[in-house]
Amino acid sequence: MPRNFFTLMRSSAPAATDVPAATRSGHGTPPPNWTAEAATGVHLDASLEAVRHEITEEVDTALQLRDVSAFYGDFQAIDRMSMPIPRNRVTALIGPSGCGKSTLLRCCNRMNDLIPGARMDGEIEFEGRNLLDPNIDAVEVRRRIGMVFQKPNPFPKSIYENVAFGARINGYSGDMDRLVEDALRRAALWDEVRDELDKSGLALSGGQQQRLCIARAIAVQPEIILMDEPASALDPVATLKIEDLMRELAEEYTIVVVTHNMQQAGRVSDYTAFLLAGEERVGRLVEFGPTQDIFTNPLDQRTEDYITGRYG
Amino acid sequence: MTPMGMTAPSAQLTAFSPRVRFRRGVSVAFMVAALLAIAVSMIMLGALIVEIAVDGAARLFTDGAGVGREAGGGILTDLPTPAGMRWMTWALPVAILLPFVGPRLVNALAPGLPRIAERAMGVIVVAPVAIFVHILYVRFESAYYVEYARAVGIDGASGNIFQVLGEASGFQIVRLLVVGVLVPLAIVAAGWFGAQRMRRPSLIIPAIMIAGWVVYLFMDPWFLSSFPSRKPAEAGIFSAVTGTLYMMVITAAVAFPLGVGAALYLEEYARRNWFSRMIQVNISNLAGVPSIIYGLLGLQVFVRVLEFERSVLAGACTMALLVMPIIIVSAQEALRTVPPSMREAAYAVGATRWQMIRFHVLPYAFGGMLTGNILAMSRAIGETAPLIAIGALTFIAFLADSPTDDFTVLPIQIFNWVARPQAGFHEIAASAIIVLMVILLLMNAAAIIMRQRTRTDW
Repeated sequence: MPRNFFTLMRSSAPAATDVPAATRSGHGTPPPNWTAEAATGVHLDASLEAVRHEITEEVDTALQLRDVSAFYGDFQAIDRMSMPIPRNRVTALIGPSGCGKSTLLRCCNRMNDLIPGARMDGEIEFEGRNLLDPNIDAVEVRRRIGMVFQKPNPFPKSIYENVAFGARINGYSGDMDRLVEDALRRAALWDEVRDELDKSGLALSGGQQQRLCIARAIAVQPEIILMDEPASALDPVATLKIEDLMRELAEEYTIVVVTHNMQQAGRVSDYTAFLLAGEERVGRLVEFGPTQDIFTNPLDQRTEDYITGRYG
Repeated sequence: MTPMGMTAPSAQLTAFSPRVRFRRGVSVAFMVAALLAIAVSMIMLGALIVEIAVDGAARLFTDGAGVGREAGGGILTDLPTPAGMRWMTWALPVAILLPFVGPRLVNALAPGLPRIAERAMGVIVVAPVAIFVHILYVRFESAYYVEYARAVGIDGASGNIFQVLGEASGFQIVRLLVVGVLVPLAIVAAGWFGAQRMRRPSLIIPAIMIAGWVVYLFMDPWFLSSFPSRKPAEAGIFSAVTGTLYMMVITAAVAFPLGVGAALYLEEYARRNWFSRMIQVNISNLAGVPSIIYGLLGLQVFVRVLEFERSVLAGACTMALLVMPIIIVSAQEALRTVPPSMREAAYAVGATRWQMIRFHVLPYAFGGMLTGNILAMSRAIGETAPLIAIGALTFIAFLADSPTDDFTVLPIQIFNWVARPQAGFHEIAASAIIVLMVILLLMNAAAIIMRQRTRTDW
């Protein structure tokens, strides 16, 4: 029963449509002479307010995003996204291509700093500090908030060195062999590689490589692991292994996973955020809530259309 | 899992800790060093232009070139140069070219032949050459023997090869075997493999032949172990070879760290702005500056201002400036081959930029950098003009003990010998050219092997 797309736009959108975005957000340092409107030539406020389902369980917040915007040069990739990332849960970011999922993920550990011309606005609260503050040490942020990439990218070194690298450069002084074994065990890779730790990481299969990357990420004992479509380059069996792994890891780590695969989001995640880019290609948060609610009872028509496969 | 020993307190999230300041310091130090490397060559070039404008170019040469300094020759020698050497000078390039030309020739003459016919044709095309080489060599070895026999007063020396063999010394027999038998066989084999388009054997076989030639030279060790002489038959390239090697080592020691540092700065540290673009363009410009200009630069800056005199050090520093652009550009290329995903992977586990470079980018790109360095060195090894300009000598009858000693190098020695009127000097110049070529080929082979060995398939 299709409802009219436009009538569903949040009527609760703020009235202050003529106020420049950067001043309205009230967080961070607005770039001088910049307004979202001037940069993109459109009013952005029309549907900014996302639907948020109620979080019923008792859960800590690992990261609190407030009005996070990101820009590549003059292009605005995401616009004022606000949501919590619950601790020790798997949060999935879903949405069609180009809606800013990866950008949002890369904001969370300042990976976007590495892209020339990228800048971020808003606030990501982590342990009481704003990660986007220029005075925050991005290297330490990345140590505490690990990342697994879409394409498995093990170093062309031995399996052992792959895992040990992060701990070594971070001044780990304990038993390295134990740490490597432990990380590989947690990444469900130990049994397959225990006898060939000297083998090059590149000699492993795709799925094993990705688990090696996960082991490498957890070897530095981060608090949060960001995964950018970790299974999209893998076959179904390897994908299943990665998904199982995510569920297990969620007991100890907070996981944020970007995925194109809605079944995957449904299987592994506890919370889901649905992102969507409008015609001006600026990604916005549409709906956030427990995965169960989002998938069974989407409140926004666009979310429903997306998860039922009408587009994207 | 307990985070033992891991630095964890939340306070470290803040920047401006000593660690962060140190890191920024490293980054700035790096930038300064690299900029210095680039600036030095540009400023010096500028200074040179000013110098010319003020004093006039002629003044630059008042105590310049060493060529022609030595007293003229004019004394013909009584002992002949071994004839085999002269003929090998011609045979060797032919033999090296054949494996590449032969099969193409076969293909052009009769395309679409069955494989075995193609191979046979390869051999047929090159076999006459092999036989030619063999006959020539035996003939001239015989002639040499006859001449030698006449000189020492042996009667009835006919030059028959069996007679030669009968009276030959162990050295001579090995020489006959290597040059008279092994080299022709290698040529045939090269034709065989070349016809099958098997690149590896058809590369290895010329290498074997070159090795044969080297053996031959060592059978006549006087050439490699003698100092220059006014008599062609006694003149050798000992001081030139050692001078070349000495200078190359210092050149590499100066140019490689500076060049790699500059490349690291440009690729990893510099922001993409007008300044880094200007540096990039000027590095390319420096690569195009004629080498004689670097010679003038070296004469003014190293010989005069820094008072290195006409020493190995002055030559090496000039060469370092000359090859720096090549090293920088090839090191940049090598750095670009390291995929961005490696950098991201390193950053994602909390590596600093320097750790990322030190543990990942540098090791992965090092093979490529070394390759570029070797190729740059093989450019430098053949350069003559800049060293003539700084006044490297041609007649050095001793070995350089320290970097401040006078020196000569192979190209200068060759240049000098070629410029003399006596035919004997022309022949030893040809031999010296082959020695230079062997050194060059060995260096390039090392570069190729290194590139293959260190290549990572991402």
